[in-house]
Amino acid sequence: MADKPRLKLPKQAKKGEIIQIKTLVQHPMETGLRKDPDGKLIPRKIINKFSCTLNGKPVFSADLEPAIAANPYLEFTAKVDESGTFKFTWVDDDGTVTTTEESITVS
Amino acid sequence: MPRASILVAFLTAAGAAQMLAPVVSAQAPSQSSEPAPLATGDAAARPWKRYPGWPTRDTASFNTLADQKLSPPAPSAPRKLEGPVTGDPAIGAELVADRTRGGSCLACHVMGQAGNADLPGNVGPDLSEIGNAGLKDEELFNFVYDARVYHAETIMPPWGTNGLFSDAEIGHIVAFLKTLTKPAMFPTEVDDPSKRPPPVETRDNLDDLVNPGLWTVEKAQQLWTTRGPVGFSCASCHDRAEDHFKTWAASMPKWEPRLDKVLGVEEFVYRHAQVATGLSWLMQSSENTAMSVYLRFLADGQEIHVDVTSPGAKQAYERGKALAAAKVGQLNFSCLDCHNPERGGLHWIRGQWLGEQRGQYDHFPTWRTSQQDIWDIRKRFQWCNVAVWANELPPDAKEYGDLELYLAVANAGLKLNVPGIRH
Repeated sequence: MADKPRLKLPKQAKKGEIIQIKTLVQHPMETGLRKDPDGKLIPRKIINKFSCTLNGKPVFSADLEPAIAANPYLEFTAKVDESGTFKFTWVDDDGTVTTTEESITVS
Repeated sequence: MPRASILVAFLTAAGAAQMLAPVVSAQAPSQSSEPAPLATGDAAARPWKRYPGWPTRDTASFNTLADQKLSPPAPSAPRKLEGPVTGDPAIGAELVADRTRGGSCLACHVMGQAGNADLPGNVGPDLSEIGNAGLKDEELFNFVYDARVYHAETIMPPWGTNGLFSDAEIGHIVAFLKTLTKPAMFPTEVDDPSKRPPPVETRDNLDDLVNPGLWTVEKAQQLWTTRGPVGFSCASCHDRAEDHFKTWAASMPKWEPRLDKVLGVEEFVYRHAQVATGLSWLMQSSENTAMSVYLRFLADGQEIHVDVTSPGAKQAYERGKALAAAKVGQLNFSCLDCHNPERGGLHWIRGQWLGEQRGQYDHFPTWRTSQQDIWDIRKRFQWCNVAVWANELPPDAKEYGDLELYLAVANAGLKLNVPGIRH
């Protein structure tokens, strides 16, 4: 994952507001079912887990499966009661963990 | 003139007069009106090797955009056949839908229930009732073998002359054609090319959550300040890219008399960065593509207007126009055969829509969701060549430059919208 994941979420929100969060990460999501031109199976390599926390508390998480298309895009909502930092984590089959953070001010 | 402008004009004039001698300095020269220094030599990998995963067939004995004297000539007269054609209509029915030979007949013709009437094209006439047309076996045979003996201007591939189908196979096809006597029944409405709606691209290509092609812009912004072996980065001379390149890309490609060829953005990026920074961003490298996307992205919204007034540019445009009409590859197609609306343009070739020339330039480089990759116009040219079974040229080939200039003129006035997103 050479490129930084994309995030879209508001910088500010009112206490108790439900906000929308969009995430996109560049990844081939190789299923492990395809064959190369020589007939050999291309090994599986996918993002198998995604999670989002706010100040360490879980907001949303998902197990991703091979049928999910390349560059997985996830959109979800979160109810925010306090200012803090969202942390986003993507876990690759090969063990690579990509994280990124974004802060939000709740008034 | 406001005072500040006068001052700038004065300083520029004074500076020009005093700085004729070369100055050895750690300071990079500022962007000036002098022609940009450019590296000579090849701007892409040599020997050129086809991209991994592309078809590997070698079609070296057929015309390319660089050499149109390779393909076998059109026969001067129809072939005479001894007696009626013998063939098996069942084998013919399979051959007309055989996708291993350039999509075969169904790519362009509706043919009754052939191939289960699954997404036939409509570049050529509907042949569903050709069996009622009263054509002799010999005429049907020659239409398939090489239709140029009846219509010199036909866009139909010369299946026999160019060795795509053997005489025996054409016999089977003729036997099948004679069985076609009823209008096609399509399993669904979209299978009927006359009713299938043309694709419309509605995705917001400038939203980075929609178009992964935009990620190259971020990469280019990092490259902009990367110093090369010479000690300079792009930013050393062009400190704020967004100020310097608001319109530049919309005027490309451009005739370059020093190199005697047309330079597109990609080739310019290689040649200029090589001299100015020492970085070797060969065409089709990820750095080259990122920078080429970025430079066009900065000019997004500007109308495409290329200069074809100089004698060199005029000649290049005329060469490009001739190349657009040049028949290439084993399938013997020109650009215009597929993209001019009077021929195949705005028609279906099997399940794929053939666009016209206008609208095929303003969004390149474009993210291709089917390829999960961003393609510049030269890679698109290369793919078109390989798709008509012609050997592609290296991306910096002068023929592609001429063709790109011709295409840019066909797209004049359209606003740059880069990176695009397409299937």
